[in-house]
Amino acid sequence: MNKTLGIVLSLLVAGQVLAGDVAGKVVFEGTAPKAAVLRMDADKVCKAAHKEPQRSEEVVVNANGTLKNVLVYVKDGLGNRKFDPPAKKVTFDQIGCIYVPHVVGIQTGQELEVINSDPTLHNVHSLSKENPQFNVAQPKKGMKLTKKFEKPEVFKVKCEVHTWMGAYIGVFNHPFYAVTGDDGTFTLPKLPAGEYTIEAWHEKYGTQTGKVKVDAAGKATLDFKFAAK
Amino acid sequence: MSDNTSHSSSPKQVEGVGVGTHVHVAHEEHVHERSFIRKYIFSTDHKVIGIQYGITALLFLLFGFTLMMIMRWQLAYPGEPFPLKWLAALIGSENMPDGIMLPEFYNQLGAMHGTIMVFLGVVPLAVGAFGNYIVPLQIGAPDMAFPKLNMMSYWFYFLGGVTMLVSFFLPGGAANSGWTSYAPLAVIATTGQTAWLIGMVFLITSSLLGSVNFITTIIQLRAHGMTFMRLPFFVWAQFVTSFLLLLAFPPLEAAGIMQLMDRVAGTSFFIPSGLVVSGQPLPYTGGGSPLLWQHLFWFLAHPEVYVLILPAMGIVAEIIANNTRKPLWGYKSLVYAAVFLGFMSFAVWAHHMFMTGMGTVISSFFQTTTMIISIPSIIILTAFFLSLWGASIRFTTPMLFALAFLPMFGIGGLTGLPLGLAPPDIHLHDTYYVIGHFHYVVAPGTLMALFAGIYYWYPKVTGRKMSDLLGKIHFWGSFVFLNGVFMPMFIQGLAGVSRRLYDGGAQYAHAQGVLQWNEFMSVSAWLLGLAQIPFIINFFWSMKKGKKVEENVWQATTLEWAATTSPPLAHGNFARIPEVYRGPYEYSVPGAPTDYLPQNERA
Repeated sequence: MNKTLGIVLSLLVAGQVLAGDVAGKVVFEGTAPKAAVLRMDADKVCKAAHKEPQRSEEVVVNANGTLKNVLVYVKDGLGNRKFDPPAKKVTFDQIGCIYVPHVVGIQTGQELEVINSDPTLHNVHSLSKENPQFNVAQPKKGMKLTKKFEKPEVFKVKCEVHTWMGAYIGVFNHPFYAVTGDDGTFTLPKLPAGEYTIEAWHEKYGTQTGKVKVDAAGKATLDFKFAAK
Repeated sequence: MSDNTSHSSSPKQVEGVGVGTHVHVAHEEHVHERSFIRKYIFSTDHKVIGIQYGITALLFLLFGFTLMMIMRWQLAYPGEPFPLKWLAALIGSENMPDGIMLPEFYNQLGAMHGTIMVFLGVVPLAVGAFGNYIVPLQIGAPDMAFPKLNMMSYWFYFLGGVTMLVSFFLPGGAANSGWTSYAPLAVIATTGQTAWLIGMVFLITSSLLGSVNFITTIIQLRAHGMTFMRLPFFVWAQFVTSFLLLLAFPPLEAAGIMQLMDRVAGTSFFIPSGLVVSGQPLPYTGGGSPLLWQHLFWFLAHPEVYVLILPAMGIVAEIIANNTRKPLWGYKSLVYAAVFLGFMSFAVWAHHMFMTGMGTVISSFFQTTTMIISIPSIIILTAFFLSLWGASIRFTTPMLFALAFLPMFGIGGLTGLPLGLAPPDIHLHDTYYVIGHFHYVVAPGTLMALFAGIYYWYPKVTGRKMSDLLGKIHFWGSFVFLNGVFMPMFIQGLAGVSRRLYDGGAQYAHAQGVLQWNEFMSVSAWLLGLAQIPFIINFFWSMKKGKKVEENVWQATTLEWAATTSPPLAHGNFARIPEVYRGPYEYSVPGAPTDYLPQNERA
């Protein structure tokens, strides 16, 4: 009995040891397109929410030349491993008639909490292909809506009331995904040792893939590069 | 011709049925015991089926009205939590989280209110209930021509109603694309729309079975001497109505199946190729036409307006003649007007579609036909008003309702004229003005007439009279509050407030000046709900405790009162099929011993 327990514990510890982080950055090459100003005149609530004009988040190039809002995830290499969904909800807010965050990742079975922080009507319309679409309105400030997704895909969410509002949700059947932020970097933590295909997705520039080997040392680096069109 | 199913196990029961035949119906000796199910559930007796239709339709009217009362909370106080917490909990958090109505649910309520009131409430009550119960009695027939079809008609209606109700429990709820179910919106809507279409196919099938039965019965089963020009106007109204149902509903049945196929089988009758919705191209490539749906829908739905109004006019005619104690003014003009109305109702449908850009030539045609169709309506209404002239009116409860019908239908009809002309329709189309207009026709108009009919024929069905006091409370409450609900809609509509807005226009600058009417209309609607309580009490209380009445309580001339008992005999209606010697409204005939001469009284 004790021997069996010892083997199991050893394997668990080994599993932790034989896992590493994949980190990197997403570089942008070329001249960044000028982001369009969002015209919010149609709804005075939206307009009043901002002192400065807001710009589209379709392409956001950071000061260090990296690209923001790129979804980086393991595309292949995990085999048949199953991962339980985390208990923690992913928050997806509507603030000043802008989706926050603009790109978000979530695991299958995990709860997405959609919040309306604006005192105006939004409808949340998912344009998913693999998962059932939903189109639900949130007419009041503070309203919350919870959704779960069963199949992996990246899809757009939009609001038909405010046509400039759009965001993307990436659903994965594993926890190894990240979204680049203001420094353009990403980390896929505690990836079990092995060889993987990693994909980077951007709403305008499409996808790029790279191979990476995670060994017992536990660290790997992979950078992506998107060029202006 | 006659399928005497209700008597079939006893061939001696009906010795002969047919026009001009004296029929002996030996009731007492041949009434055989039927099981409860065959007697009250799957009955083939037109009276039982009429009552089944009546009770089911009244329940649907109450349900449809309740949906509207819930909607009116949202319209008066948009986004405020619903005060009846238990009801909000029952409706569920997916529709009303924390009691706050979501727009999707408001859309469901709107679509289902219209569908239920028209197809499950008013038409089944006006035609299925009154037509079934009264027409055979008024023409001296022992039953409908096809009793089994009659039973089947009711059960298809019931099935259609259940389908509509069940749809509330589907994912995404009930249908939410308006009672008109316009494509392409309805084709890509949630699952509830599929249930709506299946339900409509059942309801249309029910109507078709009923209309064939009514037409055959009225043509073939009239008693000897009951010539067409001796038919009570109510029978004429039902006759024309049946033709409208028979000829107008099949296109919608076809259209319903086509939309169903668009939704479930990937056809594209009503979806154009290359349609992009919410930025997504839809996978339809058949080159369908959304306008085709509108044509097919309104080809039914405009005649349907007359399906709603003609039986109401028929009821009012009976009650006015009876309570003025005068012949109905211009009986022949009324009949010709009703028949002309029926014909014309097939040539006006596209006045609902002026805004589709269908071209000025065709628009001119439909504007002209629409103006023409107002003529027979005005003839009918004028004849009713003239019938009142110089009469010693008996202000009974049914007469109050019938009298109220006249100006209410008048308002409904006259406010329709600007909508029938394309230039004003540009401004008024899809505004609350339209809602006010057709509700005046259907609610203060037709519903008042239907209530009149209930009070008038209740003693015929039960042998007891409804309470006059409760009836008059019901009348005055309904009359005042109906106007409170619908009159301000004209004001809002003229200001340009669109229909189908879940917040009643609160988000629109041009609506701000007339928004205060929303609260007024909602309070009126809830008070209208309260005003129905005396009716509900009266309806049930009078069954047991109402004053027992003599057979011809209103001293009426028509056969249903003059030639049989109240309630009529269970089998065959009449102890002896009556013979008819005179017209339907021989009241106050000079020299006659009484102020009414029944149709079956020898000259």
